[in-house]
Amino acid sequence: MKKVVGARLKRKEDPKLITGNGYFSDDIQLPGMLHAAILRSPHAHAMIKSINVEEALKAPGVVAIYTGKDLEGKIGPVPSSWLVPGCNLKEAPQYPLAIDRVRYVGDGVALVIAEGRYAVRDAMYLIDVEYETLSPAVGQKQSMQIDAPLVHDDIENNIAFHWKAGEIPEEVCENAEVAIRQSFYIQRVAPSPIETRAAIGQYNPGSGELTLWCTSQNPHIHRMVLSGVLGISEAKLRVIAPDMGGGFGGKIGVYPDEALVGYAARDLGRPVKWIEERNEHFTASNYGRDEVLDVELFGKRDGTLGAIRVKNTHNVGAYLSTMGPGVSTIDFGLMVTGCYKIPYASCETFGVYTNTTPTDAYRGAGKPEATYQIERAIDLFAKEIGMDPIELRRKNFVQKEEFPFTNAQGLLYDSGDYEKPLAKALEMLDYNKFRETQKELRKQGKLIGIGFSTYVELCGFGPSKVAGAIGFQGGVWENATVRVHPSGKVTVYSGTSPHGQGHATTFGQVVAEKLGLPMDDIELVFGDTKAISMGWGTYGSRSVAVGGTAVSIATDRVIEKAKKIAAHELEAPVEDLVFEKGIFSVKGAQGFERTFQEIAKSANMAWNLPEGLEPSLEAQSFFDPENFVYPFGAHIAVVEVDKETGQIEVKRYVAVDDVGRVINPLTAEGQVHGGIAQGIGQALWEGAVYNEEGQLLTGTFMDYALPKARFFPEIETAFTETLSPVNPLGAKGIGETGTTASTPAIMNAVMDALEPYGIKDIEMPLTPEKVWRAISESEGK
Amino acid sequence: MKIEHSYTFKSIPREVLWRTIQDKEVLKRTLPGCKSFVEVEDNVFESELGISIGPVKGIFTGDVRQVDRKEPEFYRLLVTGKGKPGEIDADAEMVLLETEEGTVLQCLADVKLTGILASVGQRVMSGIAKVVIGQFFKEIDKEAKQLV
Repeated sequence: MKKVVGARLKRKEDPKLITGNGYFSDDIQLPGMLHAAILRSPHAHAMIKSINVEEALKAPGVVAIYTGKDLEGKIGPVPSSWLVPGCNLKEAPQYPLAIDRVRYVGDGVALVIAEGRYAVRDAMYLIDVEYETLSPAVGQKQSMQIDAPLVHDDIENNIAFHWKAGEIPEEVCENAEVAIRQSFYIQRVAPSPIETRAAIGQYNPGSGELTLWCTSQNPHIHRMVLSGVLGISEAKLRVIAPDMGGGFGGKIGVYPDEALVGYAARDLGRPVKWIEERNEHFTASNYGRDEVLDVELFGKRDGTLGAIRVKNTHNVGAYLSTMGPGVSTIDFGLMVTGCYKIPYASCETFGVYTNTTPTDAYRGAGKPEATYQIERAIDLFAKEIGMDPIELRRKNFVQKEEFPFTNAQGLLYDSGDYEKPLAKALEMLDYNKFRETQKELRKQGKLIGIGFSTYVELCGFGPSKVAGAIGFQGGVWENATVRVHPSGKVTVYSGTSPHGQGHATTFGQVVAEKLGLPMDDIELVFGDTKAISMGWGTYGSRSVAVGGTAVSIATDRVIEKAKKIAAHELEAPVEDLVFEKGIFSVKGAQGFERTFQEIAKSANMAWNLPEGLEPSLEAQSFFDPENFVYPFGAHIAVVEVDKETGQIEVKRYVAVDDVGRVINPLTAEGQVHGGIAQGIGQALWEGAVYNEEGQLLTGTFMDYALPKARFFPEIETAFTETLSPVNPLGAKGIGETGTTASTPAIMNAVMDALEPYGIKDIEMPLTPEKVWRAISESEGK
Repeated sequence: MKIEHSYTFKSIPREVLWRTIQDKEVLKRTLPGCKSFVEVEDNVFESELGISIGPVKGIFTGDVRQVDRKEPEFYRLLVTGKGKPGEIDADAEMVLLETEEGTVLQCLADVKLTGILASVGQRVMSGIAKVVIGQFFKEIDKEAKQLV
């Protein structure tokens, strides 16, 4: 039998999805089901003078309309789940519907429930809301000014939190031979899953149980938070995340909308369905990024880096989202040194309320921003001292023998060998030859550039003790149960649930390898709080490293128990028993064997078990890792800039990632491809834009440029494997490496291409217009 | 969003143009998508306009006010409208200039949009708005010619 872990198996979940047999939220049809729609504010900031629902109530099929005032005292505010300590964090209550004041375009004003999807939307527009508009706070830097309008009257200067970490002795900065100072804006981007958000509530008046299907990356967090918001026991609230078309962080958040649907279903005693529209998604779903980074990198002319000082001004939107406060502080601020041995670092972060949709974690959450600023600053530093950017990186890499390595901000990098993926990527690209070609092409007037990004990422959330210390309102251990049925078929229950990642395949491989079973004998159950005792969800690239480890340990426990039963039946001491490829045998005694299936039957029938052993074959693991994991790698981009139009073409993209043990290279590559597409999207095309009135100007895919497959060359991928000591699988995380590495790789490549013009930086996204203007301006000089 | 548009009404004297463009019956006929146009007080009209801007369609109800009138050379139009896709708030300066060719009408408008109206196709919106204004002026031109 071939090794299963490490094999390129096709995804188990794909046949159903590509044959239209997935079961998504919108596929759910319940008898007597009503439809919900949420009327949202068209203003960024306004007082609600009056809401007249009279006409709307008369519309055909309307069952109920709720306003913020109707729900006062009946439904609580939706809290943030990451209350970062020591930063004077001020959380403004976010009620599921605005009561007397709207604070962003998209803020919920009224909930309409009707028979039928069209009826509910027709009725919604008959609600007459009278607003008195207020000046909005837009843009984080402007909103911190003394005269800026206040989003929440009692929160001074709109400052939601002010966080600091790290100290740099003043003389290190003052005496530095080289100081690079650069501001970067990591623009606001929309996670844009192919399936928008949804919620369906069903209340059972007999049992008092409320079932809520919703698009959640973390159904147990939804259960925990919503039980508080709705005032219902966790034992009576069942949250189910059905098949999901992506999340990318946008479905971590516990939103007001799910609470509203749950409330209405219970209040009306009928099932209620809400499906978010795409336009609505652009105003009502959390965005990612929106951070202004002021970076200073200090060092010597010989390329030795001495310190990095960063100020992050983070636009948190109108309310603190579920994980929002952690993104620009813990996730970003502790990772500002990247993969380099920089002795000193400091980060100061301001979280600023504005009259815009809240921002939350988006694929990478803080690490792409941290990587962007250090990888861009390294390139600027290299240019300043006239050193090859690769040489500067190598000179400052944490060396292989220095792991585990404590970075300047106190994080312990578990394992690494940063040279290995870089060397491999350079070989794949044929770097030396490239530089020659570049010279030739420049002579012909062609602008070709190459860009590097050597990154390290913090993921695999994580040690729960640390989670507590950094204010995360939850644990981050993971849970798995491996249940062996009498036939020897296996059901695995996992606390982390997929929304495109392919857990059934990768977790299945871990179990199949250990138990010697075909993949088809293993089923994965996830995303249902009634079936799975607890779990903390899918984000922070934690599923394999934490959830997969729980699966692995639970499987080991099953084997341990099964061995006892096999030993009993074979009348041999347990120590002499060997379990390989699904067969229990006795060392040195040929012919004495039991199959896994035979033992599964014995365990479940319990006719003849060893003295004192309980029946059944099932084990559970609650795995809490001792540390995070730190994947790393080297990405190289080659671009061509058309100097006449400013258009950028990505010519080649090489990604060598080291994510520890790779369980399935095929699904791992898929993760890398998707991540890179989103990271390059940030660099070149995507960007949510508000005007000075706080109106969203990019509310459709006509206005918001999401990349298409044809925008990319074939992505060349490879892996190196430096195992993590943090978990027995040796696995790290892969979900966010692409978004983390690719944005600066592309930017550095474009800047390299534009080197003949002396252009040092252009704000993302690099639209042709911006690039063309930069070229034209430099030519005019 | 700022919109600038000018149109030359060939061989139309300024006074004639002023009269035409101030005639509420004419306006009712010529305003694009006008479903109703009722004068509720002096120079204040309640109107219902069916507007179709690219992918955004809807009926807007609102009022139109004429202020700062300086016959026959200048007036300001204040328009507020409300419809399913959002709200419109426009402040337009209308300048009538006498030239050799005829009368040039300059429209300088500052338009604020909210909701879906704002978030869909802003970049093409001013172009479309110019087309709509152009259509309106063409219709006015036809009406004015009958009076000359």
